[in-house]
Amino acid sequence: MTERVIINSIRTLRFLNNEMTQKQLAEAIGVTRQTVMAIEANKYSPSLEVAFKIAEVFSLPLEEVFQYKVPE
Amino acid sequence: MTRQQKFKEWLDSCSFREVTLLVDLLVCGYLLFYYLRAVLLASTAQLSDINWLSGLLGNVIIYSIVLMIASYILLALASDKELEQPMDVREKQINLIGYKYSAWILQIGLGIGIFQYQIEANQFFADKISMPFLPLHIMVVAFILAEIVFYGVQLIKGRTGAIYD
Repeated sequence: MTERVIINSIRTLRFLNNEMTQKQLAEAIGVTRQTVMAIEANKYSPSLEVAFKIAEVFSLPLEEVFQYKVPE
Repeated sequence: MTRQQKFKEWLDSCSFREVTLLVDLLVCGYLLFYYLRAVLLASTAQLSDINWLSGLLGNVIIYSIVLMIASYILLALASDKELEQPMDVREKQINLIGYKYSAWILQIGLGIGIFQYQIEANQFFADKISMPFLPLHIMVVAFILAEIVFYGVQLIKGRTGAIYD
């Protein structure tokens, strides 16, 4: 069975939202910039609360920010 | 890009917590160097002298307090709002991983120290092991080493992001 992973579109979404910086996003969701960097690089899966906060910042449903699928 | 610019770029990419951890790591590294150098260069008479040993341990404690306070004052002057921010969930997880590795080192050090004490108490290999208070030295080194591992692991895990290994 092929292993699925959690991936996200945060980098693209930041770019589309007036080129929001990692620091701005980090401040909006109450984590450090290093944590945003780790989430973007798919090295860290955020808690449900942080995931919802990120989706809220971009005014999108959770599944449009995070996907659980086989890496391409 | 010059070396100075590269250094500045690297410094910008570091969080305040990383810089704090790095300072703690350097302070502990210096303390380990100071302690090992004092013990390894000491004469047999000094090693047997409880007053000398007590002075050395006192120095280690005083140095650690002075160095930590001085470095934190410097960092507080240089920092921005990050100093007041509490750790987020990821940082707490990394902190716990640091404690895990640190506890291993402490347990191993304590185990070796007790084992060494038993050897001395039962006078096994009495002609080969001649350092007085060796179990104490083992435990002090294990304690400082555990601190180094605690800070080092947090730095590595924070940088690589691989916290699920």
